[in-house]
Amino acid sequence: MDPNLRKFYPWFAALSLLVGGLVLGAYCKDQFREWKDWQRKYLHDEMARAATAEQRADAARARIEIRQILLPELERVDRCTTCHVSVEDPSYAGLPQPLAYHPNHDRHPFSKFGCTICHQGQGSATTREAAHGRVEHWDRPMLEMNYIQSACGKCHLPTDVPDAPKLTRGHEVFVEAGCIGCHKLNGVGGVIGPELDKVGANRSPEWLLKHFKNPAAVTPGSAMPPIKASDADLEALTLYVLSFTGEPLSAYYVSMKTIPGPSAGRRLFEEKGCLGCHSVGGKGGAIGPSLDEVAKRHDPKWIFEHFKNPQAVSPGTVMPQFNFTEQETRALTEFLLSLADTNVVGFLKVPSAVGPIERGQAVFRKYGCLGCHGPDGQGGVPNPNAKTAQQVPGLKFVSEGYTKEELKKRILNGQREIPAMDPTKPAPPLYMPPWHDKITQGELNDLVEYLFGLMPKGEKLEF
Amino acid sequence: MLTQAWKSFLRTRVGRSVFRVGLPSTNLERAQAAISSFFLHLQPAKVNRRVVEFRTTLGLGLISLYLFLILVGTGVLLMFYYVPATEHAYQNMKDLEFVVTAGQVLRNMHRWAAHMMVLFVALHLCRVFYTGAYKPPREFNWVVGVMLFLLTLALSFTGYLLPWDQLAYWAITVGTSIAGYAPLIGQKLKFLFLGGHVVGQSALIRFYVLHVIVLPLAAILFIAVHLWRVRKDGGLARPHEPQVTSENLSTAQLPLTKTYGLMELARGSTPAVGIDPEDEIFTWPNLAFRELLLFLATLAVLLILAICWNAPLEQIANPVHPPNPAKAPWYFLGLQELVAYSAFWGGVVVPGLLVTALVALPYADRKRQGIGVWFSRERKVALTIFTLCLVVAVVLTVIGTAFRGPNWSFQWPWKPVPVHETGTP
Repeated sequence: MDPNLRKFYPWFAALSLLVGGLVLGAYCKDQFREWKDWQRKYLHDEMARAATAEQRADAARARIEIRQILLPELERVDRCTTCHVSVEDPSYAGLPQPLAYHPNHDRHPFSKFGCTICHQGQGSATTREAAHGRVEHWDRPMLEMNYIQSACGKCHLPTDVPDAPKLTRGHEVFVEAGCIGCHKLNGVGGVIGPELDKVGANRSPEWLLKHFKNPAAVTPGSAMPPIKASDADLEALTLYVLSFTGEPLSAYYVSMKTIPGPSAGRRLFEEKGCLGCHSVGGKGGAIGPSLDEVAKRHDPKWIFEHFKNPQAVSPGTVMPQFNFTEQETRALTEFLLSLADTNVVGFLKVPSAVGPIERGQAVFRKYGCLGCHGPDGQGGVPNPNAKTAQQVPGLKFVSEGYTKEELKKRILNGQREIPAMDPTKPAPPLYMPPWHDKITQGELNDLVEYLFGLMPKGEKLEF
Repeated sequence: MLTQAWKSFLRTRVGRSVFRVGLPSTNLERAQAAISSFFLHLQPAKVNRRVVEFRTTLGLGLISLYLFLILVGTGVLLMFYYVPATEHAYQNMKDLEFVVTAGQVLRNMHRWAAHMMVLFVALHLCRVFYTGAYKPPREFNWVVGVMLFLLTLALSFTGYLLPWDQLAYWAITVGTSIAGYAPLIGQKLKFLFLGGHVVGQSALIRFYVLHVIVLPLAAILFIAVHLWRVRKDGGLARPHEPQVTSENLSTAQLPLTKTYGLMELARGSTPAVGIDPEDEIFTWPNLAFRELLLFLATLAVLLILAICWNAPLEQIANPVHPPNPAKAPWYFLGLQELVAYSAFWGGVVVPGLLVTALVALPYADRKRQGIGVWFSRERKVALTIFTLCLVVAVVLTVIGTAFRGPNWSFQWPWKPVPVHETGTP
């Protein structure tokens, strides 16, 4: 035997101990997980709070284990309840996180929604930092609570959520700023800027806010004009834009888009032309009874049944059966119940009283024309190096330069090349996109009527 | 006490049937131990004293083998969790990290062992070159070794895609597009690898099957041949070994009156032929014990790596949002650097020439001097050429790894050029 071998014996002992220690160390490191401490604390608290023998037995039976909500329809698994064990136990209301109660989840049960569809973060993670998503290589950290209303907009129409005023306001700012004029959202909009369908998933709130205040600061060379609005409105806009996440939603969640509430009811009420027969606040037809304060005359159940089958509750009535869906019926009922509130009545649009100019104005807003041409076509949005005084031209005097047919053609075809003031400098970034495959004929007619109506009375453009 | 119990177990029928020899105490038993054990019989009963000296081989080939075995072990465990589907693969990685007991350590070990194996196989190749060990009669075993090097790269590369994160997705996209530069068959080859024109579900399942079945089986086969040939070619290369003539094993040379065991038909010399007995030592325990130590050391280093550093996992693969720059795995970055200058030269000519040169080397190098000696003075030309190629390969790889920023522009590793946020999400 090689006597040299003896000198390796200490090596053998040391290496064996090292490997054994490392294996043990790796296992221990793996076994220590912060969620276990929280579950132990929870079970300890439960034991302390248990009043009856049965409750004590329950607490003693509970196991320390990963808890998770499987949400195949949302393509995710949320393990948040591994630490936040007590979210469904009201007796934990007001206690510090993670062992706290989550109020107001009756309409959004955890088993159907989980946590991250609203709060974001990394649902599959089981450590605090990773789960809250504030780690490298995770793009969607938890939403700060001041932006949480954006989550409602993932499933619901922004106008419909009664408890999300910031979301509703954000939508209004979005329309007022005319974002659609340059950006496409859900297939509608211009092509000058990038699509917005997933922008909420790819951009942080801070980035969006900076971008709205000064686009060129975060995107060098951006042609987008800064959005002039108050800080609160810009935050609301950010909140609304954050809701464009393009997350996978199954049919169930998509069906919740319209919340059967007063605002959806009002849209239906206007669309279906109810004011053709009925009147509200003195506007509308006289064939059917006035609907002012209808809630005082009939109870909700009567109104609901009346929409479903007018003959059944009011035999001999001339009101036709509209075959509304359950959701639509509920929405209309909610709306009628809200009619006692005169604020609502003030906003109502009476179809017969709306002329092509008002409709055209709505079209002007709908397609975001004002994003570049300014509110009421006043112009003033900078377009560097454009021959038209380095601005997007105003539209007030458009009837001077075009016939209606010419104007329509111009809107449909757009103008890709904008004449440059100085041909040696880069071409003007903003241009007129073509609208031919987006706008309907009726909308176009109304829009042109509106634009021709912009001409100030008694003024002549001097050349 | 334990020793007593062990010895009495060996005396039972069961013990004798399993171990046959028991712990050897005489030279005869030592020889029997090596010969009668399946695991030890890969080595002869006695080996040359040089074999156990660390500086002879630096243990590089053995470390590569150990890493391969560890990779098989951890890989099989990982297979219990992994589903090769684009909608599950990334989530499986997250589950390994957050839910599976020791899942992260397991994945770390597999990942770092894979990188280490590429490194150690390459180092082993260099060792064999610098000691002239590829010269006759070991020419063919060098070729088998080159095949094993390529198999190692292929194993690592196919495994790279499986986590289905951004790193994996774009490394494979870049890597397979290098293959696409080959003339005539390039695009067909790429299509064959990916099962399509872009990396997707078909590519994932192809890479998976290659990674867990085809390539490991091929590697095991080649490793078996490699080890077999080490023995049949006369053990490790050493200076002044008896010159082996390439005998013709035709039956005419063998007396037909005798029945032959396979051992007697082996060509060339065994370590015992023509060597003074005092140069020989018993494999058990001299070599076996050192091999065990080396295994423990390899495992310890790997465990330390796996405990201290997590295997990378970036965002889930996003086919429309490439990182800038998208980089291939590090061992292909030398090629990617060349591709940046010329796709044809970097993607086709250079790798093609390299492999051809490696395979042809033992046949082209007709000099018989310098076998079994590190950096022999008699091989100046060969050493210079090989070293130059090696330095160029290392420099290109380092440049590609550390000095290349967005758009493959030059950058200092300590002063990375920030990637500009583009307007398009």
